[in-house]
Amino acid sequence: MLSFLQNPRQAAAQLLNFGLILSTAFMMWKGLSVLADSPSPIVVVLSGSMEPAFQRGDLLFLWNRNFFEETKVGEIVVYNVKGKDIPIVHRVVRKFGVGEKAKLLTKGDNNVADDTELYARGQDYLERKDIIGSVFAYIPFVGYVTILLSEHPWLKTVMLGIMGLVVVLQRE
Amino acid sequence: MHSSIVRFQNVFGFFTTVAFVVAALIAASDLIAPRTPSANIAVKDVQVVKGRPHYYSSKKEEYAIIKFSLSADLSSLLTWNTKQIFVYVSASWPNSTSTELTNEAVIWDTIITNPSADHLQNIGPVAMKKLIRSAKGKSIDPSRGKIELKNQKAKYQITAPTGKVAETDNVVLKMHYNVQPWVGILTWTPQVEFGRWKKVKGGVSKVFKLPALKVKKEEKKA
Repeated sequence: MLSFLQNPRQAAAQLLNFGLILSTAFMMWKGLSVLADSPSPIVVVLSGSMEPAFQRGDLLFLWNRNFFEETKVGEIVVYNVKGKDIPIVHRVVRKFGVGEKAKLLTKGDNNVADDTELYARGQDYLERKDIIGSVFAYIPFVGYVTILLSEHPWLKTVMLGIMGLVVVLQRE
Repeated sequence: MHSSIVRFQNVFGFFTTVAFVVAALIAASDLIAPRTPSANIAVKDVQVVKGRPHYYSSKKEEYAIIKFSLSADLSSLLTWNTKQIFVYVSASWPNSTSTELTNEAVIWDTIITNPSADHLQNIGPVAMKKLIRSAKGKSIDPSRGKIELKNQKAKYQITAPTGKVAETDNVVLKMHYNVQPWVGILTWTPQVEFGRWKKVKGGVSKVFKLPALKVKKEEKKA
């Protein structure tokens, strides 16, 4: 118990180990980000607007490069509305024109109306630059932990506490 | 060390490894299942009318109202890893300056769930009961992949950002699909054949022209 007081060398090694785990996770995330050319290559579904395809807590993998063709109608994209910081996962249902300036309209499969109401004031369509990636792969449910953590902030404290205790109590 | 923490860590680590390997195998099994979809789509009736984007808008736009017939067989897409198929019909047309199909809009769509995903559908209780009963005892129901539509009215009336669509030429209807798996890669209508996944046989309508704006009869008389 409280071995780090008696053995500072071991405590330092544990601290380094902990830092290594954190930086590895961070590097993997950033590496994936560079590979997919997306600021957020993995997202968790937060709403039911794409049901029954995606439920809350499902994990989506995004790809934001257009190697072979442009983002087109039918693709499920994640976009950020100007001035708001919540990523929205919806399907592209209309596209007018080609290239960077093409006008895109999205709609959630489970919504009756298209997303015109969700966009910023005066914004009728999205452009390619508003999109942070197209969904290409799917794992159900795995991301639910993050929803729990953001909806019940005390869980974060509990988790950090347990992790800290484990680090402190672990001998070796 | 054989403390309970270490044991718990080992068990949890083994569980996640096994879960991910099984998930990867299931996802890879999609590649083995052959996909041979076919579709036949024809335009039945087209009108162009003036309307407003929503009730409180004063903007007047032209809307194309399209009726079509579709007979499709997508049953080969329903496998054990299929959660749903999103089927959609789009209208494409070129710009005035080019022949390339630069505009596309979905006019109709539907969701076909595998019986294993029926409970996730957002439909009323009566329709849900009927849907679940239709595939009682089956976890995969390929017969749901058959679509027969006669003179189907479009769900979405299309317009263009300019508000003018009347007399647009070289319009074509296409049927597409998007297979949503339980786990793995999402797939869309393929542009090229890929292993056992064939391209859609047919699925593109004849080229047609949107008619001139329909004028109300009263105005004609005046």
